Amino acid sequence: MVMAPRKHREREMLFDSVIALVFILVACVDLCDGATVVDVYRLIQYDMSGVPFGSRLASLNHHAASLHFSPHTDLSRTVLLIPLRELNMSFVKEYIAESKPLGGLIFLLPRLFSFENKDGKGSNNRDVSTEPLRNVLAELEQILIHANLPYPVYFAFEDDNIDAVLADIKKNDVTGQPATATTGGYKFVVSAAEPRKVVSPPITNIQGWLAGLKTDDDAHQLPTIAIVASYDTFGAAPALSVGSDSNGSGIVALLEVARLFSLLYSNPKTRGQYNLLFGLTSGGPYNYNGTRKWLRSFDQRLRESIDYAICLDSIGSWENELWIHVSKPPENAFIKKIVEDFSSVAEELGFKVNLKHKKINISNPRVAWEHEQFSRLRVTAATLSELSTAPELLEKAGGLVDSRHFVNEATIVRSVKLIAESLARHIYGHQGKNIQIFAENTNLAVNPSYVRSWLDVLSQTPRVAPFLSKDDPFVMALKKELEDHTDEVNLHRDVLEGVFTFYDSTRAKLNIYQVASVTFDLLLLLVLGSYLIVLFSFLVITTRGLDDLISLFRRPPSRKVKTA
Amino acid sequence: MTVFHFFNCAILTFGPHAVYYSATPLSEYDTLGTSIKAAVVYLATALVKLICLATFLKVSESDSFDPYQEFLKALIGFIDVAGLYFALTQLTHRNISQNHKFQAVGLGWAFADSVLHRLAPLWVGARGLEFTWDYILQGLEANANLVLSISLAALGSLMWLRKNKPKTLIPIIYLSAGIVATMPSITRSFSDSLRYLRRGLGWHFPKVVGFELFTSLVMAFISWQLFAACQRPSV
Repeated sequence: MVMAPRKHREREMLFDSVIALVFILVACVDLCDGATVVDVYRLIQYDMSGVPFGSRLASLNHHAASLHFSPHTDLSRTVLLIPLRELNMSFVKEYIAESKPLGGLIFLLPRLFSFENKDGKGSNNRDVSTEPLRNVLAELEQILIHANLPYPVYFAFEDDNIDAVLADIKKNDVTGQPATATTGGYKFVVSAAEPRKVVSPPITNIQGWLAGLKTDDDAHQLPTIAIVASYDTFGAAPALSVGSDSNGSGIVALLEVARLFSLLYSNPKTRGQYNLLFGLTSGGPYNYNGTRKWLRSFDQRLRESIDYAICLDSIGSWENELWIHVSKPPENAFIKKIVEDFSSVAEELGFKVNLKHKKINISNPRVAWEHEQFSRLRVTAATLSELSTAPELLEKAGGLVDSRHFVNEATIVRSVKLIAESLARHIYGHQGKNIQIFAENTNLAVNPSYVRSWLDVLSQTPRVAPFLSKDDPFVMALKKELEDHTDEVNLHRDVLEGVFTFYDSTRAKLNIYQVASVTFDLLLLLVLGSYLIVLFSFLVITTRGLDDLISLFRRPPSRKVKTA
Repeated sequence: MTVFHFFNCAILTFGPHAVYYSATPLSEYDTLGTSIKAAVVYLATALVKLICLATFLKVSESDSFDPYQEFLKALIGFIDVAGLYFALTQLTHRNISQNHKFQAVGLGWAFADSVLHRLAPLWVGARGLEFTWDYILQGLEANANLVLSISLAALGSLMWLRKNKPKTLIPIIYLSAGIVATMPSITRSFSDSLRYLRRGLGWHFPKVVGFELFTSLVMAFISWQLFAACQRPSV
């Protein structure tokens, strides 16, 4: 008689809890507030002639492991967290070459390569301790760019949080139990949308014009000297491709040369009889696609009036040797003159400029140097660079390795001096005379703080062309700077053509969760269950007596039949 | 997996209430109505408390410890006692013995408190991927709170409902009732102000919960003894 209402009550409570359960399951809203949130930068994803390259996925939700994972484990649902300092090249090659399944890869880069790294920049680049790291990173970058990885790959910078996580993961791995759903550990989550193609990536070339002094009415006949630098970059992580040396140094040098000559040209007495054309071109890593488009947009007369063009490429981290790359034979009169000008000035400044001749193969689509685009249109041109040999396609285009840390502004100042002085000798016809126009402690001296501030800006601005919008603040800033120094600035817009297709989603936030294992949850359930049972028994004994408790269990078969 | 954790924490937080109800004679005498009434009174009391807090407390911009504000908070905490008084004495209950009445009221009170204060954080937090001990500790806290609520209801029923109690015990009853009544405000202000406690006393959440559990058990024992002592002459 006493039991009946309770049974009824119990059934009601059961019903209630079922309803509650349904509500819980229906209203499952995912809340992502992890303990640690880290900025991560995705490996580039692109197609070349329809062939997929780079990381093909963006979203990530897997357990983490370190390089100390036990062999023969299935890593297809595991993210490997690999610090660059411990990177084993053979491992990467093995995994990428054999395309073994992985849940994902996260590379931890030392803060040295971060563009937020403020300390120790410009300390001379030949730092012994960082050189091996640089080489490893450069090698890794090339491998990753040319691989097709069907899982997400991200880069992150070391910091205290992620270091602590890494230490924990290592400890876990060393004990021999890789983290899976049953053993707990860390879970890495990047919620990102599926990467989409960048439709008709824009390229914007910026040109500035400093008109020479017209002696008579035949201003059209004034010859022109072009100074050109390509400003965009390419690297394994588009959001980290700041390219301090390639080609940040070239941009800085171009801007400083423009500034110096604008000072000279503002006074009619010192205005030269040459027009100066400054060009900041886009599409550099893709066979100088932007340069090509820009040159083709020129008026025929303008193109013919160009005496010669000097292209600046990577001039920020050399010691005592620069190279002039030409594609016309060195016997050519113009080339001879250029080389003479440069090497005589270089001699006075105390270093060497060498000439390197490389013929153009018209049938080869690869354009290794910017001047080759000029040469293909029969314009005399040369590239000034610290590199002695032409880089391969997508190589040394301002990727991960090319950080501010390895570029010295004093070197750029020397380069600027060389360029400006050589140009001035050509323009004002002082060949063979030892006259320093841009001598130090004059108002025409190269301004190191101007160089430094621009270099700092460039070293914090990722500039991969497909990810720069049409009116990107960076492009506008360059335009404004050229407007300050030259008379006439034009933007030449076009679309990046060719074999490349790019995909967006270049940066994301990585949420790191510390998760408990299923076994822990089961154990907890067990503990809680026994706690409740003990509590129940205790309460029954204290309030109703031991006999009552025993009587509850005395007739288990009949109870079971009733509830069933 | 995380839903699993949520269920574990929910069992820890709300399980003891159900067990208490089904294991004690409360379920036999069908005192659910009394518990629900007590819960409603609790909700009303909580509303009044919130209004008082909003009216009399100023929002402190800094994390500093302001004794006056804390005192005010504790004072507002005593509104609970008024609510409990109302639930015990003014409400018309079905004909159940005093013995069961205070248990039912205490149970309803504690359950409403748990639902109001712990269900939402549990729902939001324990289902996340991140694992923390916080929700398990919070469940333990709910247990301590259940014990405290029932002790307070027991002492309240001794104070307000029982007429013939031993004279010598009266001051002790009032003293322990005072202690039990202040306990929630003490611990709540502890857990609310973990920020400066962590710096000041160096107390962490586990320690606070341990303190709560310990004091609640001690107070429960004292109230039980008092109740038994008051029972004796009438028997």
